[in-house]
Amino acid sequence: MPATTKTNSQLVVNGILNENPIFRLALSMCPAVGISTTVMNGLLLGIAVLFVQVFSSCTISVIRNFIHPKIRIPTYTLTIATWVTVIDLVLAAYMPAAYKEMGIFVKLIVAFAIITMRLEMFACKNSVPASFWDGVGMGLGFMFAMMTLGFVRELLGMGTLFGYDILGFKPLLFFVLPAAGFFCVGIMMAIYNYVELAYNRKKKG
Amino acid sequence: MKEIIRIVVSLTVSCIVAAFVMGTVFAITDKAKKHNEHLNVHETVLGLLGYNKANPAPSDLRLFTMYRYIIEDEKTKNLGYMVPVAHEDKEGYELLVINLKGEFVERLRLDIAPEKVAEEPDRKSALRAVIKPPRTFTYADSTIIAKLGGKRLAYLLPGAFPGFKTFIEVMLALDPSFKIMGLEIMEHEEDPGLGGEIEQAYFKNQFRDKSFEKIKGLKVVKEPLPDEYFRYLEADKTKEDMISRKEIAEIKSKYQDKDIYALTGATISSRSVTVGVKTIIKKFTYRVNILDSVIAGQRIPVTF
Repeated sequence: MPATTKTNSQLVVNGILNENPIFRLALSMCPAVGISTTVMNGLLLGIAVLFVQVFSSCTISVIRNFIHPKIRIPTYTLTIATWVTVIDLVLAAYMPAAYKEMGIFVKLIVAFAIITMRLEMFACKNSVPASFWDGVGMGLGFMFAMMTLGFVRELLGMGTLFGYDILGFKPLLFFVLPAAGFFCVGIMMAIYNYVELAYNRKKKG
Repeated sequence: MKEIIRIVVSLTVSCIVAAFVMGTVFAITDKAKKHNEHLNVHETVLGLLGYNKANPAPSDLRLFTMYRYIIEDEKTKNLGYMVPVAHEDKEGYELLVINLKGEFVERLRLDIAPEKVAEEPDRKSALRAVIKPPRTFTYADSTIIAKLGGKRLAYLLPGAFPGFKTFIEVMLALDPSFKIMGLEIMEHEEDPGLGGEIEQAYFKNQFRDKSFEKIKGLKVVKEPLPDEYFRYLEADKTKEDMISRKEIAEIKSKYQDKDIYALTGATISSRSVTVGVKTIIKKFTYRVNILDSVIAGQRIPVTF
């Protein structure tokens, strides 16, 4: 893939719609299914991913000309791990309230496929500003996907939203379980594909 | 060959850079992090004793920490209690060694300032000065004793036990008759929405006010949680006028001697918390009775 020709706003929208990490690229499914049991969880993990993605993308973009091509994956992993550790330590030290909520999510991110994949596909071939905006787009796209899944699963599984009681009863406890996560992801993927098809048909006609 | 060397060098360099960055950040943030952890424990302790922003702790409330160590040499295994003492108004720490039968062995003065005792390395160096090889010591656990106006108010027991996934860390508050004053879940990794519900008021508050006699035989029952009991357990969160004072007393006495209602879809988590709490309390009461009788027998001027 040559250097991108997209504008900054296109890069952000691209992360949310065309190349949404979960619904289009189907990456990082494990956390998507495991963590998206509530909207709040989705939001917190989304914020954590957003920061790590942006920082790692910028770092790799800066050093992209020095990386030995044979060891690029270890370098990416190392970069991500460094940023995750740094964010984890800084949160624990200076924002204990936020750390209490987000600590567990931040540590999870080292193993996220989406971040490594974005570094490989985008950051190591593009300039720093473009990588920054791509990181923002991917982070927002991930956050959007997680919150959508969390919304459906929390509402149907526990009858609440953001911890507040909405329905007053628990319609389907099944939706809290990991298996239901796959159903939700599948349905969302179908919706994305359907919209794309409809859009293309309209464009042609 | 040249390629290999280049790969090795660049990998080593990236690792060193990463390690350097992480190390620097760790060094900068470590102090603030430790401070936060102490604050967090302190806040939890006050919360369990029933103090909060609206109802702040009285000024004569004092917290003392006692540390338990296992002291071994090739033949014998003893328990060592680091207890806070006061000699002529000067506070310090003594190590009280008790054998496994509960008999007094020896008492040793420790050279450590009370404000430094919370740090593990400081405790270690103080202990190393009195416990010489081949005797070794290993840290076992700690207990916080809250004292209000000359009387013991509560024991606070930090503890950990295996849950459904990994260890669950808790803090328990017992009153002097070993009735549970409160349970707080400090850390856990149970499934959110299922086992994760152990941190919710409607589960953890079920342990509140259980007497020592009841705890010994505490079980988990798989029955739906009654509505009025749920309202009572969540009363701290909801507005006070939702549930009247008279109602609270009524429900409290009705459910005081009931077993623990299991969480829906998380029987194993519920059971492990119940068993864990039971074990912590049983062990603690056994030890504290021995310790108290030794302290009384040896006339040790403990501060708690």
